[in-house]
Amino acid sequence: MADPKEVKRLEELAYEMRKKLINLCGAYDGVVHIGGDLSMTDLLIGLYHHGMRVDPSDIKSPTRDRFLLSKGHGAVCMYIAMCLRGYFDYDEIVKTYGRLDSAYGMHPCKIQLPGVECSTGSLGQGLAIAVGLAFSARQRKEAHRVFCMMGDGETCEGEVWEAANTAGSYKLGNLVGIIDRNKQLMTSFDGDYMRLEPYADKWRAFNWDVVELDGHDMGQIIDALDNLPPITNEKPTVLIASTIKGKGVSFMEKNVGWHAGALSKEDTEKAIADIEADYAGERSAA
Amino acid sequence: MKMTFNFGSFLSARSVVGETLHELGQKHNNVWALTADTGGALATFKKDFPDRFIDTGVAEQNCAGIAAGLALEGNIPFIAGMIPFMTMRACEQNRTAICYQDLPVRFIGTGGGLTSGGGSTHNAMEDISIMKSLVNMTVLSIGDPNMIRDIMILSMDYPHPLYIRLAQGKKDRMLYEPGTRTYKIGEGITARDGKDATIIAHGEMVYVALEAAKTLAAEGIEVRVIDMYSIKPLNKNLLLKAVKETRNIVVLEDHLMEGGLASVIADAFVDGNIYPENFKRLGIPQVFAGFGSGEELRKKYGYDDTATVAVIKQMLK
Repeated sequence: MADPKEVKRLEELAYEMRKKLINLCGAYDGVVHIGGDLSMTDLLIGLYHHGMRVDPSDIKSPTRDRFLLSKGHGAVCMYIAMCLRGYFDYDEIVKTYGRLDSAYGMHPCKIQLPGVECSTGSLGQGLAIAVGLAFSARQRKEAHRVFCMMGDGETCEGEVWEAANTAGSYKLGNLVGIIDRNKQLMTSFDGDYMRLEPYADKWRAFNWDVVELDGHDMGQIIDALDNLPPITNEKPTVLIASTIKGKGVSFMEKNVGWHAGALSKEDTEKAIADIEADYAGERSAA
Repeated sequence: MKMTFNFGSFLSARSVVGETLHELGQKHNNVWALTADTGGALATFKKDFPDRFIDTGVAEQNCAGIAAGLALEGNIPFIAGMIPFMTMRACEQNRTAICYQDLPVRFIGTGGGLTSGGGSTHNAMEDISIMKSLVNMTVLSIGDPNMIRDIMILSMDYPHPLYIRLAQGKKDRMLYEPGTRTYKIGEGITARDGKDATIIAHGEMVYVALEAAKTLAAEGIEVRVIDMYSIKPLNKNLLLKAVKETRNIVVLEDHLMEGGLASVIADAFVDGNIYPENFKRLGIPQVFAGFGSGEELRKKYGYDDTATVAVIKQMLK
């Protein structure tokens, strides 16, 4: 079971991160993919601040765990999780995000922003690249893991399942997929058109070990990461994290209008108030 | 050690690829071989380096993505496969996963032009147009088996994505005596000199161009033949020299006329204010060419040696 102190530490970080996300969104005069950022905030805090062995002062360390954001439109969420870990400066992100020649773009670019493992943005491509990283690590007998964060919507892409098939067939036990299972695509809900269920069974059928969890329950996130099988496991692992798109902001939650958006001053204030109330509520329940 | 393949005037491009890759695999422990179920020629690599061989099954997009991941970690992945699927099915992966990050992935495609024998699903007539349009991608088309080997070896020090187009991949003619040429990305070869006109070709069509030049020589017309194996980057000096010295330029290629080497050269003419007296292109028109051997289809669509001879004679009238 997760240490309650560690749970609390990470919850506070996630709370801080949500406010930073909203404030950045409010300060930027363009569109931010805020819905899916808020759905994976807790997961990214769990990864960058607990589960992954990373060191912001040694970003090329061969022993570091690798992280690929396959849902590249969630870049800003990754920037802020990394910023809280000490990689980047928040004010710099706010000042330059999305602007001409910025290192902090709508989708992460490895060449422009050292610390990012892979340039992404075209959905469905991350897992195959992560499979390549996992093959390389295994062949060199390196002990790190490769984590690949995917949105559930992008798993409509065929390449995801080609890569899943390869990872399962080649028994890449050092590969961990994480699904931000917010059950929404950009313009619809899961099941309106395409139906992903039975989702866990699909991954099992591709020879993956599956862990299902609540992607907003920090205790469960910590437990899932602490209890990953050894890298010599015969199967890759996928964490299917049930989440809420727009989590923490009442007018964004489960609202297809907030896949991406721009926040007015009023929206920003309301969103911050929601996040504060949400966090206070969770704390009083704890 | 300089090794050459020299067993008769024909040898298999695929076997050269397989043997060279095996040799590179032995020498460099970061060389990987990948295939989407077309890795017959990679058997020795697979046998000796099973932990650096990946067969993804019939899944070219995934194959390109995995290669990108390997290259991100400092490996040199070679993907061997059939051109249409390597360049079209996986086009976006080639662009975004590989070229955007400028990763040293090597694509070795077989079945260039109408040589596949498989009909329009398997013919490769758009690949140069597609691959050359990708930023950071280098595009070569090779018609000599020993050149394949030399290029593969020199590619070990080349830090960018590289596409190598081969013809049918069964038995390829040797164009040059082994060991007599040095090859370099961004260069071309004057395979035969002449003063009246220049045929610029790539891959298997260099041989066809040489045949046409021979026929014309018998009639007193001296034609230069350039093997423009490096399509991107292009050797503009070689081109400019040919325009200055022979005035008449014919591009001959087993590719759609629109978008292939002829288009690359036309671009160079426009950008450089270069005006040859005559400029013609021979290649595949806008058709799905259907079934037949490469030779039969070249004749049908008017870009074999006979057609080339006729065009040049007309041009010089």
